[in-house]
Amino acid sequence: MSIFRNHKTSADRSATDRSRHKKKIKDAIREGVHSIVSEESIIGKDGKKKIRIPVRGIKEYSFVFGASEKNRKPGSAPGKNISRGQSIGSRRRTRQGEEGAGKDKGEEFYDVEITLEELSHYLFDSLNLPDLEKKKFKNMIASRWKRKGYRNKGIRPRLSKKETLKNKVRRKKIAERIGIHDPEADGRFPFHKDDLKYRHIKPVPKESSNAVIFFIMDTSGSMTQDKKFMARSFFFLLYHFLRHRYNHTEIVFISHTIDAKEVSEDDFFKKGSSGGTFVSAGIEKCIEITQKRYHRSSWNIYAFHCSDGDNWPEDNDRALTLSKQLKEICQLYCFIQISSDAEDSTFWSNGGMVKTYAPIADSKFKLVHIPNKDKIWPEFSRIFGGKV
Amino acid sequence: MSIWTFNDLKGWDDKICQIASNYGLDWHPINYEICDYYEMIGHMSYHGMPSHYQHWSYGKSFERTHQMYNLGIEGLPYELIINSNPSIAYLMRQNPLYLQVLIMAHCTGHSDFFKNNRAFENTIPENIVAKFRAARQRIHGYVEDPSIGQDNVEEFLDILHTIRFQTERNGKKRRTQSEIKRSYVEKINSDKEGKYSNINLDAPVIEPDHDLLGFLLDHGSHFKNWQIDLIEIVKDESQYFIPQIKTKILNEGWASFWHYKIMHELDLPQSMHIPFIKSHNQVIRPHLGQINPYHVGFYIFEKLEKEEGLEQCFFTREIHNDESAIRCLLTMDDYRELNLFSYSEKKRSITIDEISDEEGWQRVRSDLIRSVGGNSIPMIYVSDISKSGNLILQHDHDGRDIDLDHAENVIGGLMKIWPNQVKFFTIIEDEPWEI
Repeated sequence: MSIFRNHKTSADRSATDRSRHKKKIKDAIREGVHSIVSEESIIGKDGKKKIRIPVRGIKEYSFVFGASEKNRKPGSAPGKNISRGQSIGSRRRTRQGEEGAGKDKGEEFYDVEITLEELSHYLFDSLNLPDLEKKKFKNMIASRWKRKGYRNKGIRPRLSKKETLKNKVRRKKIAERIGIHDPEADGRFPFHKDDLKYRHIKPVPKESSNAVIFFIMDTSGSMTQDKKFMARSFFFLLYHFLRHRYNHTEIVFISHTIDAKEVSEDDFFKKGSSGGTFVSAGIEKCIEITQKRYHRSSWNIYAFHCSDGDNWPEDNDRALTLSKQLKEICQLYCFIQISSDAEDSTFWSNGGMVKTYAPIADSKFKLVHIPNKDKIWPEFSRIFGGKV
Repeated sequence: MSIWTFNDLKGWDDKICQIASNYGLDWHPINYEICDYYEMIGHMSYHGMPSHYQHWSYGKSFERTHQMYNLGIEGLPYELIINSNPSIAYLMRQNPLYLQVLIMAHCTGHSDFFKNNRAFENTIPENIVAKFRAARQRIHGYVEDPSIGQDNVEEFLDILHTIRFQTERNGKKRRTQSEIKRSYVEKINSDKEGKYSNINLDAPVIEPDHDLLGFLLDHGSHFKNWQIDLIEIVKDESQYFIPQIKTKILNEGWASFWHYKIMHELDLPQSMHIPFIKSHNQVIRPHLGQINPYHVGFYIFEKLEKEEGLEQCFFTREIHNDESAIRCLLTMDDYRELNLFSYSEKKRSITIDEISDEEGWQRVRSDLIRSVGGNSIPMIYVSDISKSGNLILQHDHDGRDIDLDHAENVIGGLMKIWPNQVKFFTIIEDEPWEI
């Protein structure tokens, strides 16, 4: 005779352990997040959409045997024809489709859904735009509410218990002194309507310096799909960094081949192009726009220029001159050359624009070289003073 | 709403118990708890223990099972029963009646195995539930204690879990330090040739010790009381679960053997019999390329009954574990019938190394034996404590190399709880290796 009974639910027994586990995963995301920023899947998403990112599971270690020829395992195959040396599968590949080098094998992955906003938190919280100066004209951005004194009237949630009580105590003391209240005899001394005090709030405008950021991208034919992707990844990071950290920044998108034009955000990230390269064209356009719309006396100006560094030689001198000009009006001007190390050594003896620019580089004009997509985040982070 | 009532279950249970006791099965009374799938996963994460201490790894286990279940990769196991007296088993509310009956018959077999198999002799099923509950409460107390706190408890448990099965695994009782010393005192006293004169009884005398947890208890004078308690709790839990690890194949085989027998005598209506057969085949089917313990275990008992009678089956369930059963009971014909083989991961692919033909089957057998019971867990032992107090661990290398990434992390953890260095020696690709 067995006993049957309905299980008494003792709440959700693993809830605590699950939340501890989640916390560990969160910490892992914070540490591992940089490796996912160059994943194709996140580029081009908007902030609200959830993205699934693979997070390395929290591994539980123990002494186990490694997978090798010496560690033979048993299997069964009833009714099947098998022979020695027969292949029954390939080694597990790592997630990126690379050859398993041994260390990634057996790794557990969880898909975690987070929004780009959360991702931005993890990524950008330690970074800052350098050298933001207070410029002449302050831009008013949305006001925020601030507490300012007390009022006799107000809504219930803003009732100040402290002030109300102070009023009552004050009134009570007075009453005792003038003899209309005897604490011994009368006992309770109730609140009066006039005791009530409410916190008052008032809108105050918050001031912030103006900043304008120029995104300049080379879309010439020599920018291969891969390079364009890396450039876009870089700008994508930049874009979300700015949106995340600064309430009021204007962004100007310029794409150029041998001539430059200002484009919409959408076109900038999505459209491809072809043709030759005049690096100077992008810089010229940028200077032109600052003169028209963003005078340096009232704007912090930042410019980021992504190119593969493969400029037509006759343009180099002009690019150099214009860059000197641009550098003078910018808080920060950054030239990002996307080219593999192999290309640098074989295709051009001159090492691309990075080499051309080298003499005028300084703390306000930074040269960055991104040879592959793994370097996008470290270089990005370096520009904005993050730890690499 | 379920299509069955408690009375249905009770009715079938009476019949099952009747048949089982007619055959001479002897099991702990079983308490069946009816729960939903969410609760089922909850209990699975804690190995079915009604009460278990909290640790994030069980939350992880829950998440994974839940994810697998939702993706349809894994069905839930049909049965979950724990080795206690009375045995506690869980039945999922959503399961149809035939499946409940099948599970009940299966659980009867398990409970009988727990009660009678030699490996379970020292598991003390009467008070195991209370023991786990008390452990949970004590650990909870440490978490709440402001001088200890969650993070310390968690970190210490993390480290203990890495060596949780590095404890007595062969039923051989470990000798404590005082027992070892006493035996040396006797040796020295009756020593005429001066063989033992170099032994210093003031320092710890270390003999190769495979029970790392026991060793920490014995030699970890630096541990605080709560840490000692945690080590004991983890060790006790391992001692409780090791018999189940060692008899996975026989235990599942025995339970499947009996549900099959009992179900056939139950006179099931057609509407239940056919789905039962389907489920049964599902459970005991071979998993291509792997070893399904249900399949091999069922095969062993079927064969025994056919060749040597039911009595021999009862004898086997009493004295054997997986390793000894595979060693003694299966012949080359069985290896051929089951078409067992061994395989390994090469650089590029996984290939078959041995098949069960005339010349290969014995090698397949030794590979199979290495994979069952506790044999799939490397043997690590304490070989010494050096003069400077370093803990020297050695891997009993049996031809299989250890996974270094894991080992490094385990040793890294042990360093945190051992006051001096921890050294680990093994062999990797035929070369000595030290961590």
